[in-house]
Amino acid sequence: MHIPDGYLSPQSAGALYVLSAPLWALSLRAIRRSLDQRRVALLSLLSAFSFLVMMFNIPLPGGTTGHAAGSVLIAILVGPWAALMAVTLALGVQALFFGDGGLLALGANAFNIGFAMPFAGYLVFRLLKGGAGPGDRRFAIAAAAGGYVGINIAAFLVAVELGIQPILHHLPDGTPLYAPFALGVTIPAMVIPHLVIAGAAEAILTGGVAAFLGKYHPELFEKGSGAPR
Amino acid sequence: MKYRKGWIVLLVLAILTPIGIIAAGGAWGEWDLDGVEERAGFVPEGMRASAKGAIESPLKEYTVPGLDGSFFHEGLGTIITAIVGAGATALFAFAVARIAGHGRIS
Repeated sequence: MHIPDGYLSPQSAGALYVLSAPLWALSLRAIRRSLDQRRVALLSLLSAFSFLVMMFNIPLPGGTTGHAAGSVLIAILVGPWAALMAVTLALGVQALFFGDGGLLALGANAFNIGFAMPFAGYLVFRLLKGGAGPGDRRFAIAAAAGGYVGINIAAFLVAVELGIQPILHHLPDGTPLYAPFALGVTIPAMVIPHLVIAGAAEAILTGGVAAFLGKYHPELFEKGSGAPR
Repeated sequence: MKYRKGWIVLLVLAILTPIGIIAAGGAWGEWDLDGVEERAGFVPEGMRASAKGAIESPLKEYTVPGLDGSFFHEGLGTIITAIVGAGATALFAFAVARIAGHGRIS
């Protein structure tokens, strides 16, 4: 899920930075405008949480591994815009300190895991939640569904970004210059294991934590949470 | 400390991270050059050029230099990187939230 450097052409990586930059600006604005000051510590905690969750690799069908990201859970707690910043910072540290995901590819990774995932997942959560509140069964199920959809959207985007590289950049004889596999390979390779296993892991994490916090700490979801209602 | 229980949960997660390195194989599409060659039959030129200029972090792939050879040592390295990484992430998030206009946090 973390695209390393060298897999995307500099043009593609740059384009995704251009796409992400205004989103980061909007995220900062949302944090300033709507995140309660007292919840800055929560944002910080959730950012570190996202970093740690991504270290738990689980075996996926096909002999590869994957992990949950926590982006949708963060969006449910502090809103999707603040989630973008929390996850972007986790991805930045992963790239900078640990070589996990590229620095040039950070715009792409932030777009996939920090933007598309929490926004898509949060949308699903809001649509399914209806009038349910923290502690309700439906609230947790909506959160789980959001997590499942969110991580699969992110996996699909990664597959598309990798899979269009051979189309965009190749030698005159057709030899790919960057990520070498076509969409017909990247999409099933990324999407199927996420639909089956990683999506379930994200759903359990998102729904489970939302259920637990909803029952024991419903105040975390209350007004002033920075989450747009 | 605010959200004390939450920070304790994070510390427990950090201590459990060695579980995350048990799973065999790596993520799809995150191979090094050898891994790409093995699967695609060649190393794309742009990819090779990109790898040339890359600077490797001393903590590459969540390992600590010198901590290897056994699951215990590697696990310890993983825990250290988890604490360093999660701590750095939390500090950056604090800093960014302040820059975003929460400068009055005491």
